[in-house]
This record gives sequence, C-alpha cells and structure tokens, in this order.
Amino acid sequence: MNISKKTLFCLLCLSLLSTLLSGCWDDRELSELGITSGSAYDWEDNQWKATYQVINPSSGASNTGGSGGGSTSSPPFVTFTVKGRTIMEAVEKSNLTSTREMFFSHSRITVLGESVARHGVNQLIDLFLRKQDARETVFVFIAKGEAGDILDQLMQLTKNQGAGIQLMIEQESRLLSYYPGTRMFELAMALSSESGSAVLPEILLTGPEIMDETQETGRTDLKTRLALGRLGVLKGEKLVGWLSQKQAFGLSFMTDKIKTATIAFPSKPESGGKPDASFVLQKSRTTVHPKWEKDHYVIDMNIKGSGVLTELGSVMDLNERASITEMEQSLEQQVLELVDNSWKEVRKLGADVTGFAIKIHRSDRKRFKQIRKDKSWDRVFQEIEIRPHVSIEIERTGLSNKSFESVHEK
Amino acid sequence: MPGNPQRANRNKSDNPEQSALAPFPLDPSLEVNLQELGRRIGHSSDIVVRRFTNESLGSLELAFIYIDGLVNADVVNQGVLQPLLETTKLNSEFISAADAFHVIKNQMLPIGGVKEGNTLEALLPMLFDGYTLILLGGLQAGMAAATSGWEKRGINEPTSQGVIRGPKEGFTESLRTGTSMLRRRLKTPDLRIEEYKIGQRTQTGVALVYLEGIASEQVLKEIRRRLNAINTDSILESNYIEEFIQDGGLTPFPTIQNTERPDAMAGGILEGQVGIIIDGTPFALLAPSTFFNFFQSSEDYYQRYDITSFLRLIRYSAFFVSMLLPALYIAVTTFHQEMLPTTLLISLAAQREGVPLPALAEALLMELTFDVLREAGVRMPRTIGPAISIVGALVLGQAAVQAGLVSAAMVIVVSFTAISNFVIPSLAIANSIRLIRFVMMFIAATLGLFGIMSFLIVLLIHMAGLRSFGVPYLSPVAPMVPRYLKDIFIRVPLWDMTMRPKTILGRETRRQGDKQKPKPQGEDHA
Repeated sequence: MNISKKTLFCLLCLSLLSTLLSGCWDDRELSELGITSGSAYDWEDNQWKATYQVINPSSGASNTGGSGGGSTSSPPFVTFTVKGRTIMEAVEKSNLTSTREMFFSHSRITVLGESVARHGVNQLIDLFLRKQDARETVFVFIAKGEAGDILDQLMQLTKNQGAGIQLMIEQESRLLSYYPGTRMFELAMALSSESGSAVLPEILLTGPEIMDETQETGRTDLKTRLALGRLGVLKGEKLVGWLSQKQAFGLSFMTDKIKTATIAFPSKPESGGKPDASFVLQKSRTTVHPKWEKDHYVIDMNIKGSGVLTELGSVMDLNERASITEMEQSLEQQVLELVDNSWKEVRKLGADVTGFAIKIHRSDRKRFKQIRKDKSWDRVFQEIEIRPHVSIEIERTGLSNKSFESVHEK
Repeated sequence: MPGNPQRANRNKSDNPEQSALAPFPLDPSLEVNLQELGRRIGHSSDIVVRRFTNESLGSLELAFIYIDGLVNADVVNQGVLQPLLETTKLNSEFISAADAFHVIKNQMLPIGGVKEGNTLEALLPMLFDGYTLILLGGLQAGMAAATSGWEKRGINEPTSQGVIRGPKEGFTESLRTGTSMLRRRLKTPDLRIEEYKIGQRTQTGVALVYLEGIASEQVLKEIRRRLNAINTDSILESNYIEEFIQDGGLTPFPTIQNTERPDAMAGGILEGQVGIIIDGTPFALLAPSTFFNFFQSSEDYYQRYDITSFLRLIRYSAFFVSMLLPALYIAVTTFHQEMLPTTLLISLAAQREGVPLPALAEALLMELTFDVLREAGVRMPRTIGPAISIVGALVLGQAAVQAGLVSAAMVIVVSFTAISNFVIPSLAIANSIRLIRFVMMFIAATLGLFGIMSFLIVLLIHMAGLRSFGVPYLSPVAPMVPRYLKDIFIRVPLWDMTMRPKTILGRETRRQGDKQKPKPQGEDHA
C-alpha cells in the first residue's frame, strides 16, 4: 500500500510536470499581436496583392492606460500591402515587414478589388473557411478600383475603421434596406446554392484623394469619405455587373430583405407625379411562389407592407379614407416600379441573385432536376415572368391629420 | 505557566500522558504533604501557601494553597480564610480531625463548590483552575474550594464577523462565558454541554455543545472519539482542535466552521451541528460543516429573505471571481484573444504596450504584492497603518502602472479579486481560495481555458469526495436533496422553512408549524 501510494504520487507529479513541457507553446502576449481589423485583396500581375489594416493599440481607445504613452498623433491603424502567388504566401510575407504576428480573429471587413472579383473569389473563400483564425463572419465588400486604398481612408467618429465600416453596413441594412450586408459565409452559401449568384455592396471613396493622415480627421467636413455605392453582382465566382442603388432596393423587396425603409412617393399621382411625401415602411414581407405555365416559370410575388406616413407636401385631408387609399395605391405603384426595374436589370445580367432557383428547386424538384441535367437554367431564368402583387398599408399618419400645406392655404 | 522551573524535569518523560511522578496519596502529616506539593509545583512566586492552627477546631493544623491571580481574592478572604480563622462558630474541644473536615466542608465554607480529594493528583489540577486547596493535619484528605476568578476581557463586538443588524456580542477567551452565552440563547433542557480537558500541559477546557435529539448521534460519537484520541501537550487555540479532528487532512477546503458569534453558534446548534468551545480563544468551532455553510452568514437570517438571496448569489459569484479572475485574464489574453470584444482587446493591448513582463509574471507580481500588503496590514502596529495604506495604494497601484511595470487592467483584476475575496463570510474558505488562485494562474498560463476547466473538474471531484464527520461536503447539492435546498443558493422566507433547512447536518426534525405565511385576518388559512 505504501509503495503504491508513492508510485501514484510520482505519477501525478510527472504528469503535472509534463504540462510544463507542453504548456505555452502557442501562447501569444497581447503586445506581440497585430490585430487586423480589415483586409483587402487585389489581383495584380497574376499575383495576390493583400492589404492589411493593423490596429495601432497605443493610439487606441483609451489614452490613460497606455504606459507606452502612445502619442495622439500616431494613426489609429497602419496598413501594409504584400504580394504573393497565394494568399497565405502574401500573409506570411507580412512578417518580413511587420513587428507583429498577424491576428485575424478580430477582422471585421474584407474588401475585394474589382480585379479579384473579375479573377474569381473561390480561393479566397476557401481560405476564410479553412484557416483557423480567419472569421467567416467578416462583411465582404467590393471596390471599383484598388481595394487597398479603401483601408487607408481614416474615418471620423471611430478610430477603428474596419469596425466603423461594419457598423455602417449593419445600420444601413437595418434602416434603409438598400443593401443586405453580406458576410463571408453568406457569400459562400449564395455562390454554392442552386442559383450560384451573390451580391456584394460596393464601398467607395467619395473624393479623389485619400484621407490617410491623422491631422486631416480634425476637419469637420472631410473631402473624401467612405460610402456605400452600388451593388456588385457575382455569378459563379466572378463579377458580372452592377445594380444601381434603386435596383438594389428593388432586389431587397424581391428577396424579402427589407427591415425598415423609407419610400418617397407622389401623394397625388394623377397631378404631376413628383414625389412629395415620405413613408416609412416598418414591416414588409415578400412571399414567392413559382409555378410552371406551359413553357416557362411564372413567379407570383406577394409583397405586403405597412408603416407610417412621415412627410406630406400636398393639400390633403387625411380624415378621408379616399386620400389614404390614393396614397397607398401610389406607394404600391412605386414599389412595383422598383421591382420591375430591378428585375429587368437582373435578367439582363443573367445572374439569379433573386434566389428563384432555390425556390423552384424546393417547390418543383423534378423539373429542376431536369433543368440541371440539361444545363438549361440560364435559359429558363431568362424566360421567367414575374407577377408582383404589392399591398401596402398606411397604418398611422403621424400627429396631424391635415397637411400643413392645406392649413396654410386657408 | 511561563518560567516553570520543573518543565525540564517533566520533559524527561517520553509519554506525556503519564506524570513524571507516581501518584501521591495524602499523608497524615501536613508537613509531608506540603513538602511533596512544593516538590511538584516548585516555589513559584504566585503560589500562596498559608498555614495556621485553629484552637477551636482542636488545635487543628490547616494549610491553604492557592495561586495568586487565578483566584478571586475577595472570595478567598471572605469565603475561606475568614470563616476558618474566626473561631467563634465552633467551640468543641474534643473535635477530631475527621470531624473537623466534615464541619469545615459542610458548615463553615460559604462557597458554592467544595470538592474533596485524597491524592495530590486529584487536587493539583483544581489548584491550577483557581481553587483554593485546604489541607488538614492528621487527615489523608484535602478539600478544594471553588474560588476561581481571574482577569477577563469583557464581552466585545466580534472583530472578524461584524454585522449591521444583529447581536453585537462575541465570545471571549473564557469557556464559561461562552457556554453561558449559549445557555442564555437556548433555554431548553435539551442543551448538553460536555467538557473535556485536552493537552497534558495546557489542560485546556474544551466544551462540546449540542442539542440532544437534534444533533446526530453518529456525528457526536465520532467527534467524541476524535477528541479523546487527541494526544498532545498543548491546545492554545481552536485551530489546534480543528486540525486534529477535521476530515480530509490534505485538502485546501475547511470542513469545520469557526465562529466568534454566539448567535451563529446557537443557529448552527439548532440545526443539528455540534459546537466546540475552547478555553482561551473567542473562536469556537461548528461541525459538521458543508461547503455551503461557509457562504451563510448569521446576518442572512436577520434581514429580509429577498436581499439575503441576492447576497447569497453575490457571494457565490465572488467565490468564483476570487478563484478564477486572474487565471481567466491570463488565459484569455495569452491564448484566446478572439474571445474578447474588439474594443476591449484594443484597450487591453494598448495598456500592455510597454509592459515588460508576460501576463503570468505580471499577475503573479501583483497578486504577491497584494498578499504582502495584506499580511503587513495584519501585523503592523495600528499607528502606522495609514502609512502602509498610502504606500500600498499609491506607490504600488498607481506608480507601478505609470512606471510601466504592470498594466492598469491587471491592477483592476487583482483589486477586484482581492475585494471579492472579502465578500465571502468565512475567512477559512476565503483563505483556501487564495491558494487555489495561484495554482489556477499557473495552469491558465500553460493550458489556457482548457486547463482552467480541467482543474475545475478535478477540484469538483475532490470536493465531492470530501466528508465532514460523515456528511458529504457538497450536500445537499451533491448528493442532491431538493427539499434541503431552501437555504443554499437562496434563502426562502422563514415561515416556509418548516423543516430544518440544513437537516443534512443533524437529525430530521420539524422545527415550526405549517402555513405561517402572514395573511389578513379572516382569510381562509387552508
């Protein structure tokens, strides 16, 4: 008994000691990390050109804690660009120039240059899905020109530009619903789905020069800002075209991505047709029912929405039901136009960003199998006819019944 | 007794249980007896031996022996000396020594307790308890009159377990004061007090206090057995007893509670625990105790149940914070940076810019500093206390951050850990976490969160295996007894605790009537 206790004790000690041997092999102190908040990829000379935005902590959020005493004039982040035949080769090359090990887990955005989007994004998606510390929840954007330039631009009201852009797209998709924010895994899912197409919001610089000096953020009105522009359409793995803001809005209606939206519309469509009223759409739901009619698919699209009237510029008495109905019809017309306009462009691009293929696959498996076999989806898609039915309800008209315009006229 | 010249003599004996000298039956000759006594106890200056002859008792030779300082001088003078010196009471000339003994014992001493003894061995311990020995010439018997009375500290507010609401008196160093405080609270004939003398040299009084019929017989038997098995020469504080009788010698967790509060002890006794009061220390023990007992404070029952339940939850969280926070900080900042919100990570990284030490060394440095400060706080004289606080707070806290030795976040982590440690009502368990915390920190620095989790599991297994006098340490959670959970994580209103909530510690008995929830008069009480 005594001996076995001793052996047991020894074994315990040895196993404890072994933790010391194995331990800390992968520990990283915070001061050794280059916290990457955003990355951008371009394709240049048959090479990947990756730009990384690394947060400079000593200029970070709190100036009090920094015992290193980071000077306030140092930029909140630094960017550097590396090239490589593969993306990881480029990443590893970053260690040639950077004092810190790249740490991707806090990455918020990825910007794809148009060059990459034309070249194909499959390899990049694979990297994001495969690599351990890469986050597939990053928001993906597309940039018209050089993607790396986007990351250099400083933002006001936030020091961490990557997080700022993320906030921008999140708020946009919640309040405006023009573009759905697309995360990396959503991109991967969309591209690998039956429709094989995806949309990415464009991020652009509003001016010609890049604001990349810290002093410049001291101005109240920056000459160049970051803004969301159009919606890039990807098919397969390549960029095939762009949807304008309005078309993107229409697409949001078709794909049921509307959360809140503001619609400007003419309150009296018969007299002029110039938008003079605003409506905040608070609830919207789109249901899509495809059905086969003789030789093509017909998509029944029911769009139902409700919300509040927020602005009215014409003479109108809202106590009367008729005027409300009139406005509702005008609104429905607006939405119908948006959808039609969008659908035309989508059909022209031939990319099924509406997700009709998924819907058809689910409702009509047999025929879809056949279509797949014949590889005739592109043709079928071109022949699709959509029948949107819009019904919009003005639930409340705000605090006043008559428009101020009509009060004024008396 | 410091400076006892016979200590060297006694140390010669190998077995401390046996006295160095053979039993000495009293001799008829007073001279012989006193000589033997002198040989045994020496001629220390505080021992008073007084001899005289009383004519009225047949020229009886008498001797008083008492220890100055242990007796109440008034009692000795008026209760022993005066009656025996005054000769008016008896006038018989034919009185024999044996008669005189009875007359003295039964008629002359206005004293509560008078005991007899016919060997020195029987009488000597009483001498050290403050009795006055009365030896008579020509008799082989002696008397001891209870004249004890020594300087005692008055009853004060307990310093280690203060309350806002509740009784403010604490135990004192006197065993008798302690038992009397309990008697005053538990006026039931079921209250039993068993006294032991433990420690060959200290002869420390140890009292076992329990309620007959509520304390578990098995637990009592076990405690008695363990108390009787103690073979040591000294018991100076309750921890001596605690270490000798508590289960699980090799564990950081205490399995016996200690308390300075008679009300807490009465509460424990009412719930089936056994109290152990030790002479010479205001800290008494309560056994058996489970893990959850250490999170209950007596004030829990003196304020409303809702706030108590909230405080309980705070205490359990404080327990985990105190044990884990530095370890979690190390693990997250060196292995799992992806777990932190980005802004927090950046601000932590900003603070760590320029800190020369790795996170573990930084944490160890600050934790050790705090423990040094704390120890210094206990030791240092009151008058220079403020100086140390300033040095501790300003120099070590602020200056260390400004000098770039440690990051501000680490100071926050260490301070919060330290503060959390004081939330736990029992110092005993708070101290055990202090040690576990360091182990945790090392494990976190080598294995990260994975290590912390594994160690927690090991800890849990260890705790589940512990027993306190046969009661599982984690009961009533493991093994789970739902009806005993009324006073563990929350405290239900008193009117709902029909059975003893901590019954697991003693016998299951009902303690109050059903359906006592207050209601307006006239409403159906069904």
